[in-house]
Amino acid sequence: MSEHNDLTVQKRLVGIFSFLLLVILIIVAGYETKKTREGKAVIKVSGVSKQCVDCHTGKGVAVKAIDQWRSSMHAEQNIACYDCHQAQEGDFDAFTCPESDIVVARHPTPNDCAECHQEQVDEFTNSKHAHQFWLLKNADRAVFEFPLATRNGCEQCHQIGNIWPDKSVGECDACHAKHSFDLAVARQPETCGECHIGPDHPHIEIYNESKHGNIFNAKGHGWDLSYWSEDQDGIPLEVPVCTTCHMDANGVQKSTHNVSARLAWESQAPWSFRTVWDQEHLGDWQTKRDRMESICKSCHAPDFTDTYFLTADLVNLQYNEIRRLFVRWTTRMTDDGVISREEANGKFYSDPVLNGWDEEPERLLYYAWHHEGRRFRHGAEMMGADFTQWHGIWEVQEDMTEMMQFAADHGYAEARAWVASNNPVKWVPYALYDIPGNAWGIPAVTNKTPFLYNNYPDYWEKVRANVRTAYQAGLLSDSEWNLWEHRYENRDHYLGLKYDADSTFDFYKRRNDIDTDAFTKQAVNLQLPSASFWEEAQNGK
Amino acid sequence: MSGKIKSWVLERVPFDLEATTHMMSEVLLKEPIPGHMKNWFYALGATPLLLFGIQVITGMLLTFYYVPSPDTAYQSVRYIMHDVRLGFWIRGIHHWSATLMIIFLFIHMGRVFFTRAYRKPREINWMIGVLMLVLTLGLGLTGYALVYNQLSYWATTVGTNMLKEIPLIGMPLLHLLRGGETVNPNTLTRFFNLHIGFLPTILFGLIVLHILIVRLHGVSELEGREGEPSYSFYPEHFYHTILLGLMLLIFVSALSIINPPAVGSPANPNVTPHHIKPEWYFFAIYSILKIIPLQTGVYLFTLLLLTAFFWPFLDDAVRRKWPRVRMHFWVGSAAILGFLFFTVWETIQP
Repeated sequence: MSEHNDLTVQKRLVGIFSFLLLVILIIVAGYETKKTREGKAVIKVSGVSKQCVDCHTGKGVAVKAIDQWRSSMHAEQNIACYDCHQAQEGDFDAFTCPESDIVVARHPTPNDCAECHQEQVDEFTNSKHAHQFWLLKNADRAVFEFPLATRNGCEQCHQIGNIWPDKSVGECDACHAKHSFDLAVARQPETCGECHIGPDHPHIEIYNESKHGNIFNAKGHGWDLSYWSEDQDGIPLEVPVCTTCHMDANGVQKSTHNVSARLAWESQAPWSFRTVWDQEHLGDWQTKRDRMESICKSCHAPDFTDTYFLTADLVNLQYNEIRRLFVRWTTRMTDDGVISREEANGKFYSDPVLNGWDEEPERLLYYAWHHEGRRFRHGAEMMGADFTQWHGIWEVQEDMTEMMQFAADHGYAEARAWVASNNPVKWVPYALYDIPGNAWGIPAVTNKTPFLYNNYPDYWEKVRANVRTAYQAGLLSDSEWNLWEHRYENRDHYLGLKYDADSTFDFYKRRNDIDTDAFTKQAVNLQLPSASFWEEAQNGK
Repeated sequence: MSGKIKSWVLERVPFDLEATTHMMSEVLLKEPIPGHMKNWFYALGATPLLLFGIQVITGMLLTFYYVPSPDTAYQSVRYIMHDVRLGFWIRGIHHWSATLMIIFLFIHMGRVFFTRAYRKPREINWMIGVLMLVLTLGLGLTGYALVYNQLSYWATTVGTNMLKEIPLIGMPLLHLLRGGETVNPNTLTRFFNLHIGFLPTILFGLIVLHILIVRLHGVSELEGREGEPSYSFYPEHFYHTILLGLMLLIFVSALSIINPPAVGSPANPNVTPHHIKPEWYFFAIYSILKIIPLQTGVYLFTLLLLTAFFWPFLDDAVRRKWPRVRMHFWVGSAAILGFLFFTVWETIQP
């Protein structure tokens, strides 16, 4: 080959290969760089599980479940069908796949999850999510309602605490929906809201009413909720979702699947009481309260948190005093034979201090606990003002009124006197708790109008005695009592009594007078020309 | 004024300014370059050097924020990407300059190879060049390990595992790199040291040696164009190189914005990802090692490396025996095509 040809060949080879190397390798590098950003895992399934996937996919049976599984972390770790659905002959849920000889478990239980998630299963088993209280008492299910009614109702939500034949407890996929077991789904408030909803525990409704829920609904749609809370530096969300307060880590404490670890009250119970649940492992109510406070104080000022918590605690205590009235009346009426318990074969199926469905006082007692009484407490605990007020205490008071009316109608002199009384103080026929002011600020006019404040000069002394009794009974902590005392000693400030903003109030009073004139003129004093057809009929026309 | 400053300095640092200036001008600026290098294409030889300079500068800037500890490495990279002003740009340039440096090294070596610029008396410079390629790949390997995400942790584990199979020096080398039997916290700090200290220092020394030898020999003439007139390095070739450098900087800046490098998910020694892949420049080796047994593969690549290292002598021996055989065309073409094939093959695997 001549040297001239050599040079030509060299040039061509160098030119072609330089071009190829540059273009192809930049494309390769670019593609690989892009792939690392996407972070999509490659799912490969093997062994028995591969048979499941191939056959199910081929026959189009439950294929979306397989798609969900493919998007899961289980799939990324090569944990596939048979790892959870493995069964031995004789297992309570074992069946043989009709298209093969594989013995499959229809119901993977927490025992199966515990193979890898032992800590979470242990935590969950020790929580009240796993507690089947609703079966312990002769409850509304299967007495007031027939069994079929509860199948897709009570049993669906309370499945979370199901006791399985293999002695495990719980339903992990109640929150971690199968088969994606997505953390983001578990963390979405509406997941808790599947069960924590409705007239007897409107938690999702309370959350959506609260500022937390409002901001979440406004801004939270793009948020990635699939994070591991213990890997975060504190709380990564602008506002909390349910798990933020009740389960997740906050940089100071670990996450937990024991939702009872941070709750200091049993405020779902007929009587509010300081929780003693699993004290050996979780500590006393103050320790649990501290855990919750630590979450709140990740965002909120201590002063706000402390005052808010104290007010909610006093609401729980106040509820007990109201309930005391209901219990006194239903017990008395039961003892007097005015109302009776349901009974069959020597066993009672209703309880004067708990429930009953065919007599007004029983119904009122039940609702004052189970529905509006819970709404009153839970609304106060979780910033659902409407639930504290209109769906809460207002309806509790109405229940009380009806109870007294029933007692009066059935011959009780004390109740008759109450019904007949025109004294506004009749609306508080129970001991009172209170706290000077609220957690939101200093209202300069609000506390100048209450009837009790204006007509009972010893009001605060009496309230103080009640709060101190609760404190001495161990129902309030030292710091709570100190806070209350501080507020009491400075009540003129916290109640706003020492401030004169009457001129501002007068401005709005004048505006109100104008409104009053308007509706008086437009509505009250408007006389239509003819009488009603009823009046005419009465007058013999 | 400048005259006064000059005499003040020269009184305290006594050297012959005029002689030194003249020597520097002769050596650096007036380097005679063969006429064929007026073609822009021949300025590409300087691109790996320019990219190395970019890597050093961006690398030093990254060390302002990067923390080489398993607990904080990943977070510090995230911090650089999301919080440090222009951190994403600097890291992006560093990432893409690494890629381009390796690509341009291949192109430069290809040019040297096909034009037989390695022929006597320039064999030693070729061998230095092969060493520099190995060091550059080592810098790539150690660099990506520092991100300490899942990909880098497990690719490092798999990559260092392969060292075991190298005869004689395999296990000691494995221990040296890992700082222990398995990948552990020591491994990251060692890789950091290698990446910012040991390897760049040796590479810099070899770069100086490489350029020095080129300068001593003069730029190799093309076969068949011996004796062509030469021209001065400065200004033409110098400015070609500067312009190329600026265009490269624009190119890597654009790439760092269009296609930025990922942070990924944090390294988790307890979770093995289903698919572990090294950086793209190791795809060819990785792909071949999946086909043949590991030990065979290690021996094969050791042999290939030695062949590449001693290539000038092999080529010379063949030329003397069979003067009409152009072995380097065939071997070079096969090597590049093979490399491209296996790289692309590994890329398109799911």
